Amino acid sequence: MMNRTVYVCCGTGCLANNSMDVYKELKRLIEEYEVDADVKTIVKSTGCNGLCEKGPLVKIEPDNICYSKVKASDAEEIVKKTLINGDIVNRLLIFDTAQGKKVISHKDTDFYKCQQKIALRNIGEIDPGNIDDYIERGGYEALRKVLFHMIPDDVISEIEKSGLRGRGGGGFPTGRKWRQCYSIDNFPKYVICNGDEGDPGAFMDRSILEGDPNTVIEGMIICAYSIKSHSGFIYIRDEYALALKNMDCALRQARERGYLGRNIMNSGFDFDIEIVRGGGAFVCGESTALMQSIEGNVGEPRAKYIHSVEKGLWGQPTVLNNVETWANIPEIIMKGSDWFNSIGTENSKGTKVFSLVGKVKNTGLVEIPMGTTLRELVFKIGGGIIGDRKFKAVQSGGPSGGCIPESLMDLPVDFDTLKNIGSMMGSGGMIVMDERTCMVDVARYYINFLSEESCGKCVACREGIKRMLEILTDICNGKGSEEDLDLLENLCHTVEEASLCGLGKTAPNPVLTTLKYFKDEYYAHIRDKRCPAGVCPELTEYEIDEKLCKSCGLCAKNCPASAIRGEKGKPYHINIESCVKCGNCIDSCRFNAVGVKKGARL
Amino acid sequence: MKIIIDGIVCEAEKGEMLLKIARRNHIHIPTLCHSDALPGLGSCRLCVVEILDRGRRSVVTSCIYPVKNEIEVFTHSDKIKSIRRNLLMLLYARAPQNETIDRLRREYEVPDNIRFSGGKNEHCILCGLCVKACQELGTSAISTVNRGITKKVSTPYDEPSAQCIGCGSCAYVCPTNAIKIEEHNGVRTIWNKEFQLVRCARCGKPFATMEQLEFSRKKLGSDHIELLCESCKKAVTGEKLRDIYERV
Repeated sequence: MMNRTVYVCCGTGCLANNSMDVYKELKRLIEEYEVDADVKTIVKSTGCNGLCEKGPLVKIEPDNICYSKVKASDAEEIVKKTLINGDIVNRLLIFDTAQGKKVISHKDTDFYKCQQKIALRNIGEIDPGNIDDYIERGGYEALRKVLFHMIPDDVISEIEKSGLRGRGGGGFPTGRKWRQCYSIDNFPKYVICNGDEGDPGAFMDRSILEGDPNTVIEGMIICAYSIKSHSGFIYIRDEYALALKNMDCALRQARERGYLGRNIMNSGFDFDIEIVRGGGAFVCGESTALMQSIEGNVGEPRAKYIHSVEKGLWGQPTVLNNVETWANIPEIIMKGSDWFNSIGTENSKGTKVFSLVGKVKNTGLVEIPMGTTLRELVFKIGGGIIGDRKFKAVQSGGPSGGCIPESLMDLPVDFDTLKNIGSMMGSGGMIVMDERTCMVDVARYYINFLSEESCGKCVACREGIKRMLEILTDICNGKGSEEDLDLLENLCHTVEEASLCGLGKTAPNPVLTTLKYFKDEYYAHIRDKRCPAGVCPELTEYEIDEKLCKSCGLCAKNCPASAIRGEKGKPYHINIESCVKCGNCIDSCRFNAVGVKKGARL
Repeated sequence: MKIIIDGIVCEAEKGEMLLKIARRNHIHIPTLCHSDALPGLGSCRLCVVEILDRGRRSVVTSCIYPVKNEIEVFTHSDKIKSIRRNLLMLLYARAPQNETIDRLRREYEVPDNIRFSGGKNEHCILCGLCVKACQELGTSAISTVNRGITKKVSTPYDEPSAQCIGCGSCAYVCPTNAIKIEEHNGVRTIWNKEFQLVRCARCGKPFATMEQLEFSRKKLGSDHIELLCESCKKAVTGEKLRDIYERV
């Protein structure tokens, strides 16, 4: 009998678009129509498929069909046409912008073709709530190999040789970290998974925790075995309700099957994992602050002159890795370090998951080999800028990353290249910005975020960021001076040098990179009192080009302040007095007739 | 092990804090949050110094930097002076009326006409010494509250704390005298809580709170505690010693 599986994406993005209803409706209809008369059909809810822009996604295997933006009301058609008659529902197929046509399988789109999935290998293919799905795809085989055929030293050597570097941002060689912890003769030792993903617009770790929790568990057990630890913690922020639920379920199932707890797989090795829920402080993603938080203290970092591998959680040797790092471990053990080492660039091996968001057509989660160019990431995988506007910058590395301009788009994405140009890998956020983004405002936004999320312990970071924000706010309000730019840069260097932890040391990045690559925008704000992108309300005026206006009235319809008036056949006009400068008119105009007023303002 | 600080060769033990080595050798490094009794905060950042370790220069926090190698240290390089000036400018912007900060500001020649909007009545620089002192004593009545630029030191919900014993250790360790402690007619007020003071059995001066004495009694595990103020305690001890020596 032929088996057929319908996978309904139940990642957070698709869930928000009612994919659970789609799942339930498909399940109900399949039972009702008794599709399994000659074909056995199973419906599965899976983790995030990545292409959140087009969600909810429904995949049918082995037919290799993928439907996008599926509603519960589409379920009947899918069941009748595709499942019973074997026809394709054309209107639900994904439109691939690159090819300019609809494609049957999602794998035919540029978005998926350029990707290589290691950390995300199972996501979208399995039901995260069912450990059997994971086992079916080779899960816990790496653990079996390690427990019965490898000594700790071999495991660590394998990770060292793979060249894997920490995916949480710093890029510290994972194998070296394990080796250092292994060499210290002080017990108990701890293993921690950092799932406190807090960067605005980032959801890599969330997706892994939600979509494939067992791979994280397996990775942690392998590490625990190699450093002789018996106790581990997974720190997940409390906002990630689904991740917490799926992880809790996975831990329970792993214990029931003997993969976790006492005498794992009858090997004599004991290890168990506890979930710790984070309270939502961004700074608790910093490893030492995270450990403070687990201990029950205020989440404040400490200086890392003594590493956590030596004195970490409760002063004991601790290995802490990021979710994505853990997800790579079982695959490296199974396929070998040589395989992993062959992917990527000289100093950055393997792949990296990025959450591609912002003004890009295909927003979502992508996993690409290290060394892929930024241009490929944004324009090929991402499909370019929404509305085919002009690209301005891509912001990588979270709030303390940097803004990368068009001129550097051909550089390869890896740890060292990003660092050299003033940004960083961070945990993998990629925010694409177009010409309608004001770079001074972007710097202000991130510094504002950091002013609220700095732990506030050390003077350099707390007071420095506060004053940087004050200067940036003044510039955005048209009250900045040219001396401010020198002071701003000066402050950046002090915060960079004198801050206690990584958050403070990297906090000036958004300011320094915008000052470096977009200084003309700062000057426009200061000298001309003008915001070229039309974002800063105090320095912006919009106008409608009478020659281009077709008097369609779309701008007036979208204006929340009723500031646009006009009549059929005549160009529309903006009343400057009541305009709130939201930019809706510019974004809604199809004829590029609305724009930011050029020329200096007094 | 030997390290060089500002050209002076200093004897150091492995793992010893850099600041401690410098102070022992009479090399001045400014600090606000450091206390020998409550070390390890590293929050004021004024004690940063430059080190040269196996050919690599870096900025480290001397009060919490354990010396591991034979390094060379520069406590007043141009870079360090510039960092300290900026830190003091930031501190002065926060607490312009504070005497300690103002003195350091003048020492590092930071102009007083800084660009930023001022925190008028602020004296606290959030170094965390008070919180640490309270915690080490075993009361934990105060803590830092919030994070980022809204961080402050307070009792839970800014209300009088049931744990506070009014000992005033927090105010005693504060480098900027930011914690208000008032005494009127035998009543001490601190952290919005009033405490009845106990009078010294010898001179009659009010010297400690009831709660503080009770706390000490419990901690020491003895029922008998002499109700003597600090100076009378010294005097009585002196008298006792004198009696002993006179007898000898």
